Amino acid sequence: MSTTLTEAIRKTVLVDFTPEEAFDLFTARIASWWPVRTHSYGGDDVKNVVLERRVGGRLYEVTEQGEQDWGSVLAWEPPTRLLLDWQIGEASGTEVEVTFAPEGPGSRVVLEHRGFGDADPRERYSGGWDVVLGAFVDTTSKNA
Amino acid sequence: MSTNGLVLDALGDWTRRQIFEALRRGPRSVGDLAGDLPVSRPAVSQHLRVLKDAGLVVDRKDGTRRIYSVDPDGLAGIRAYFDSFWDEALARFAAEARKERQ
Repeated sequence: MSTTLTEAIRKTVLVDFTPEEAFDLFTARIASWWPVRTHSYGGDDVKNVVLERRVGGRLYEVTEQGEQDWGSVLAWEPPTRLLLDWQIGEASGTEVEVTFAPEGPGSRVVLEHRGFGDADPRERYSGGWDVVLGAFVDTTSKNA
Repeated sequence: MSTNGLVLDALGDWTRRQIFEALRRGPRSVGDLAGDLPVSRPAVSQHLRVLKDAGLVVDRKDGTRRIYSVDPDGLAGIRAYFDSFWDEALARFAAEARKERQ
């Protein structure tokens, strides 16, 4: 398989906002800038875009028909980092990471969308946690 | 999100995703795939048809069997779609920040 399959998409944008302001605009106020007409399931029918600001929170669009999930929050580290489990369509579990760093009078915002062609990350995580929790159980049972 | 709608829909189904993930580990026959999944052989064939129509898998004949494998161009299409998706989304994000600064 060609390497482009697993290569992450990486985009950088500079804004005249502090990382705190940029993080807030990207998350709490996502509905003010997200191009719903082209970047949603409902298009012009989308009334709102919501990002629940906590680990495990949902990212979803709202139409009169109801809510449609786009992803969920895997890491919530204001004002420096946001990690999303990206569930749109291809869902086989890609990840979107957005980082915010001070640069000059403003901020550098870097977005990385990765995991194209990878196995479902939820399976990767569960494998990972099995190992971590297995080690924890080993340790606690030895101490018991 | 309509450009790659067919691809996205094809992988939206749990069973199809399992089939696709299995093929990512290497080429397999229909019978072989059905043996690993809690679905019938005809169901596997039907899922493979959807994946093939979406350009995600390709097949070839091997004697009486048909061997399926991942089509590298299919995933490259999803990636290309999201590449321009984020260009546009981030341009809007930056434009909103500029607007609020004025």
